[in-house]
Amino acid sequence: MIKFLKRFYLGIVLVFLYVPILVLIVQSFNAGKSRAKWEGFSLRWYVELFQDERILNALYVTLSIAVLAMIVSTILGTLAAIGIHAMRKRPQALMMTLTNLPNTMPDIVTGISLMLLFIFTKVDRGYLTMLLAHITFDTPYVILSVLPKLKQMNKHCYEAALDLGATPMYALFHVTIPQCKQGIITGAMLAFTLSLDDFTISYFTTSPLVQNLSTLIYSSARKGIDPSLNALSALMFIALLILLLIVNRRTASAD
Amino acid sequence: MWENEHLIDLKNICKEYDGVKVLKDINLYIRKKEFVTLLGPSGCGKTTTLRIIGGFETPTSGELLFEGKEISHVPPYKRRVNTVFQKYALFPHLNVHDNIAFGLKLKKMSKKEIDHKVDAMLDLVNLQGYGKRHVDALSGGQQQRVAIARSLVNEPEVLLLDEPLGALDLKLRKEMQLELKDMQQRLGITFLYVTHDQEEALTMSDTIVVMRDGNILQIGDPKRIYDEPANAFVADFIGESNILKGTMVRDELVEFAGGRFPCVDFGFGENAPVDVVIRPEDIMLVGEDVGQLVGTIRSVLFKGVHYEMMIDCGEYTLKVHSTTMQPQGSRVGLNIVPFNIHIMKPMEV
Repeated sequence: MIKFLKRFYLGIVLVFLYVPILVLIVQSFNAGKSRAKWEGFSLRWYVELFQDERILNALYVTLSIAVLAMIVSTILGTLAAIGIHAMRKRPQALMMTLTNLPNTMPDIVTGISLMLLFIFTKVDRGYLTMLLAHITFDTPYVILSVLPKLKQMNKHCYEAALDLGATPMYALFHVTIPQCKQGIITGAMLAFTLSLDDFTISYFTTSPLVQNLSTLIYSSARKGIDPSLNALSALMFIALLILLLIVNRRTASAD
Repeated sequence: MWENEHLIDLKNICKEYDGVKVLKDINLYIRKKEFVTLLGPSGCGKTTTLRIIGGFETPTSGELLFEGKEISHVPPYKRRVNTVFQKYALFPHLNVHDNIAFGLKLKKMSKKEIDHKVDAMLDLVNLQGYGKRHVDALSGGQQQRVAIARSLVNEPEVLLLDEPLGALDLKLRKEMQLELKDMQQRLGITFLYVTHDQEEALTMSDTIVVMRDGNILQIGDPKRIYDEPANAFVADFIGESNILKGTMVRDELVEFAGGRFPCVDFGFGENAPVDVVIRPEDIMLVGEDVGQLVGTIRSVLFKGVHYEMMIDCGEYTLKVHSTTMQPQGSRVGLNIVPFNIHIMKPMEV
């Protein structure tokens, strides 16, 4: 009986979590425009989706920003993690607080503060500012996934490389970085995913002319939802799901 | 003087971390092909000394000379010394072959030459055929051998070893001690070895440097260190000892534990306070009526080769090693020959 209750509870939780998404996916195959009535199976909205230039443009913005932000924040984050790791206890603790703070801050605060910064420095908001914002919020996550790998390293490994004749640069690229490869890849994927599904910060740091998918969906939702956005959301969900599965498997196998 | 003898000279080396003095005026030289051991309890500065020579620490003051040239600011990758680290510090992302080849690749050697040298090293450390293995798949002893091979393949002038056998079990440790000593003699490389294990130091070294609290207490060959410890600390650290407070009555006569004993030491003056050191194996048990001291056996422990007995003699409890057992509680006499009584100036603590 208890076993049944346990399973039932788990089932309920999963149902509440996933039924909305399931409805969305089902709706994306609905032939009619109504959201209440099933009018037969169709790929109509998927076809329309890939003919809508606004959506395709937003998709391009989203993906290109995600890739660029991932690359830049992975490099920055990895180097920062190595630097933080080499610090003494007290400055290290300070740096870790500074790293953790943006992660715990609500996105809306980060978004508004970045917006104010760009206005204050008279930088026109658009593609570049959105990219900078994404790099900003991605980097701490990379640091947090690389740092544990550095801590696991034998602390004499780097010294051993120097001892064997490696310059600090050679030791960094041939000993330190290969050993935290797992953390770097996980961090990069995390950065990509976070960038892909960010709405709040993007909303405040771009102009209406440069829209990514989430800001586009938000602005069109006010006029009534175009069912092709259902199709798009379904695709995004699947893509993120796959990425997340890969990240999870990586972290699981690394432990 | 150094030209033909001294390979490394440490002159007045001091090291401070945040105002804490870890090394206090260290003076030491290491000759070519010598096996020198830095011995001392943890925190005595032995590892710091090694790291200064390896180039991982810079001395706060003092000179570090290599063949007469100052090198304290030369980075580790430009020094002709190699280090075997505690816990090995092998590169886990490389296999055994690539670990050993790491230094050779940096010297831009041809692949053929590298393979040849690596194989020769694997032979030397008895790991033939292990080249393709992953280092994490090796046992502690095997990892240790890879670490030694990785350093030796670079043909360093000096090999620095930081408690390299600390993580191995007793039997393996003893085997490796002999192997290391043998390797050192065959290759003719200078070894500077750090350990807190006095037996290891006595077994392997040509010269032992006993350290405590950032100071060198004594430098000498193993026999001298054991037989003529410079003070009570060295005596206690190197092997087991009874350390007693005594008075030098006059030359060659000392008083302790309520008795007067002839000894061989002199030059302390008359009625001078001294430390008396007696090794447990140097006390002979005799009949109660003929002993220089008389005591009651408080406890008896079987230690394999000998029995260890604690004997109450007045204010002192003496530790005695003997191959014949006396029953607990019995009264015995204790005799010590003059040669085995070591007199030292009392140590200021």
